[in-house]
Amino acid sequence: MIAESFEFPEINAILRWQDIFVSFNKIALIAVAAAVIGIVVFLLAGRKDASVAPKGVRNLAEVSVEFIEDGIVMQTMGKSGLGWTPFLLSLFVFIYLCNVPGIIPLIQMPATARMAIPMFLALLVWVIYNGVGLKHQGIKYITHTIWPPGVPVALKPLVGVIEFISNIIVRPFSLTVRLFANMLAGHILLVTFALLTQALITAETMQFLLKPMAVLPFGMLVFLTAFEVLVAFLQAYIFTILTAVYIGGAAHPEH
Amino acid sequence: MHSAVVHLHGSIVRFITAETGEAVSKDPGPIVPELKELYWSFGSFVVFALLMRFFLFPKLKKGMEARYQGIQSAHAAADAERAAARAEVADYEAQLAAIKAEAAREVEAARNTLETERQAKLAEVNARLAQQRAAAAAEAQAERDAARDQIHAAVSDVAGLAGELATGRRPSPEVVTRVVSEVMAR
Amino acid sequence: MEAFSYVAAATGLTGEEAKAAQAASSAGFAYGLAAIGPGIGIGYLVGKSVEAMARQPEAAGMVRTTMFLGIAFTEALALIGFVVFILIGL
Repeated sequence: MIAESFEFPEINAILRWQDIFVSFNKIALIAVAAAVIGIVVFLLAGRKDASVAPKGVRNLAEVSVEFIEDGIVMQTMGKSGLGWTPFLLSLFVFIYLCNVPGIIPLIQMPATARMAIPMFLALLVWVIYNGVGLKHQGIKYITHTIWPPGVPVALKPLVGVIEFISNIIVRPFSLTVRLFANMLAGHILLVTFALLTQALITAETMQFLLKPMAVLPFGMLVFLTAFEVLVAFLQAYIFTILTAVYIGGAAHPEH
Repeated sequence: MHSAVVHLHGSIVRFITAETGEAVSKDPGPIVPELKELYWSFGSFVVFALLMRFFLFPKLKKGMEARYQGIQSAHAAADAERAAARAEVADYEAQLAAIKAEAAREVEAARNTLETERQAKLAEVNARLAQQRAAAAAEAQAERDAARDQIHAAVSDVAGLAGELATGRRPSPEVVTRVVSEVMAR
Repeated sequence: MEAFSYVAAATGLTGEEAKAAQAASSAGFAYGLAAIGPGIGIGYLVGKSVEAMARQPEAAGMVRTTMFLGIAFTEALALIGFVVFILIGL
């Protein structure tokens, strides 16, 4: 029976990669490639004639810029947040380009399904929004974060603990886990259905029945790949918009 | 040369295969970040973000803004042109209205002239007609008076003669005339 | 989980294997339980958002942004459950 021959591999066997050379593995390669592709796309876009209607690579770059400005910055921070567009744009492009290899055949590994990238991005965002809060509100940022204005004195200790945990600890943690776990779950799903397909095709007993049945997990694999296209975009979008919300909230607490 | 090919082949194999067999260790769990991945990705992201902030984005944005400005100024120019065309049309229409008014005035004046001329001619003709009628009436009156005088004279003669024959005395002509006049006036 | 230790004892698994089997089963329960709340939450949230968008199509952009934010916050709970599943199960 299949159950005997089919065994899900160790979790590390589908996530950890050998070093291509010293301390440089596939995840690092994808991260570097994401940065290089981003730089090249925007470099090429910047070199094209700006006066005519944009097309090709320039159109792509301008659409992404307008997406960040209209879809993220204006919705969460307003006009005063437009200075954050380059940072949010690079964040979005980098995360998206790290997510997308999860569905490209032969690569099929989202770099964000490892803890490293989500964690350092979330820590970077944490440092930035706290820095922005301290810069814009000074020492009042800390008291406002712990005790939002209008809290009764009696509740201050309780609210203080809750707000401190939620603002200082839970935010970067959930930012990390959201991206990491989404991409990891998608990767595991793809691996599962790919392995099921393979197990059915290479079945040694009842081949006439089991081999055609491989179509079913394969169809699911194709569907999930299409779904992961959406997830790759959505997770990059959500990470970026949450960053914008946190920065906007730290800069202008009244919003 | 050969060793380089082997090395490259090894790199590709290492790229497309995950850790397997002995290499797989449970030790760093999937949750634990790996230092090498951390610093490679951190480095590439920071380079990307800094380039984006100071070089790539400003250049792109400048081009976009220049184009928007161009489009906006083209829009403004088009608006100005449209306004100018509208003004021209209004001007033309004003001129047209003035010309129409002028023409109407002239037609009116001509009509007035004609009317006065007609009135004058009509009055003249009427006057002439009245004159002629008056003349004819005077003539007729004169003829009637003459006929009347003749009748008067004749009747007076007849009456005088008749009186003479009846009385043997010739009545004075003043009386005869007065009587005849009275009778005729009756 | 009790049942598993009995099963383990009955099938003659060693202590280590029985522990792994228990971990695997509790991991499955952990993720399943963690998915219930966020599932209801996201369904309610998206349903309400669609209602709002249908009622006021001109506010659709704002509603969509807020909806994604809400989904992100709600989903975090399920994802933490998934991470726990990875941690104790695999």
